[in-house]
Amino acid sequence: MSNAPASTESALTPAVKAMVGVSAEKVEASFEWGIEREGLRIFTQAIMDPDPRYWDEAFAKSTKFGAIITPPIYCTYIGRRQRPGAEDPVTRAFKENPNSDGIGGVRTGEGKGSLPLVPTHLLRILNAGNEIELRQYPKIGDRIYSQAKYADIKERVQKDGSRMLVVTTETLYTNQNGELLCILRASQIRR
Amino acid sequence: MTTAQELRDKKQTYWDDVAVGHQFPPLVIGPMTPTHLFRWSAAIENWHRIHYDQSFAIYHEGLPNILGQGSWKQSILPRYLKDLCLPDGWPWKVTFQHRAMIVPGDTITVWATVTKKYEEEGLGFLECDVGMRLQYDAESCPGRATLVLPIKGGKPIPYPFVPPKKLVS
Repeated sequence: MSNAPASTESALTPAVKAMVGVSAEKVEASFEWGIEREGLRIFTQAIMDPDPRYWDEAFAKSTKFGAIITPPIYCTYIGRRQRPGAEDPVTRAFKENPNSDGIGGVRTGEGKGSLPLVPTHLLRILNAGNEIELRQYPKIGDRIYSQAKYADIKERVQKDGSRMLVVTTETLYTNQNGELLCILRASQIRR
Repeated sequence: MTTAQELRDKKQTYWDDVAVGHQFPPLVIGPMTPTHLFRWSAAIENWHRIHYDQSFAIYHEGLPNILGQGSWKQSILPRYLKDLCLPDGWPWKVTFQHRAMIVPGDTITVWATVTKKYEEEGLGFLECDVGMRLQYDAESCPGRATLVLPIKGGKPIPYPFVPPKKLVS
């Protein structure tokens, strides 16, 4: 028998509400070798941005930034990569659930610096929108640190009466000098 | 698409030269293919199957096709705003939502239109409506951005960027 509430019951339970304001531990998002050129090349090509500020050292030095930089929100992605030597999360996810969507079972929220999971039976995730505030571009060799918190959780009622949650997290990214690089506010629909 | 040489040679757009209603040159990307989507998933190690596993997307999730990633869109929009501000401006903030789905075959026009301009602490600010319009005029990523452009004869925009206290909530 499932403990999940019926779809017409509020999904914004006291336990869910209590997550607002909860912060994760501040952690290093980058690997020990910091931002490196090959990862930057792969990323910039995936967003089809040929900007020489990302790869032409002589030109980059002549700009106001004074060195090779990364795309505006590159630092928000580097913490998603799998650390060398870690258990393969993809293999584990599909071992546990052959029908895994590839994300629910892969990102378990158990990792260092992850926020605790929102205690909800609503497991399907869609990206609902984002706010990005930029202060500084990371440079090659920079070490990147992040700290996330649950900034807001709201409930929405869908046309069929079923409930969904809009979960907003706010993550601050800083460098090895403690300088703020960017702030990402991300909203996810849980349904 | 913008070339490396165009970005190297980019001439500064000044705050003085932009009026409310100004439409910045768009960035056109596409048609998108499954390979573009797969490349992004691999680049950021996003293993959500709706972005590269067509059978799963259609038959398990009930989607029309594999979907373009929200994370890709949230990287493209700041990239476009960065280009608009080069070499000495600053793409301070952007807020957007994910609306129309991007699927293989779509061509995306990234756009920005100035809705408001003001000066604060000697810096020139532009509020813009922004988005990523699909070839059938559906909006995939509507939002708002705040850009900072140099004022002719004015002070340089600080880097790292420090927003005026009055504008920080």
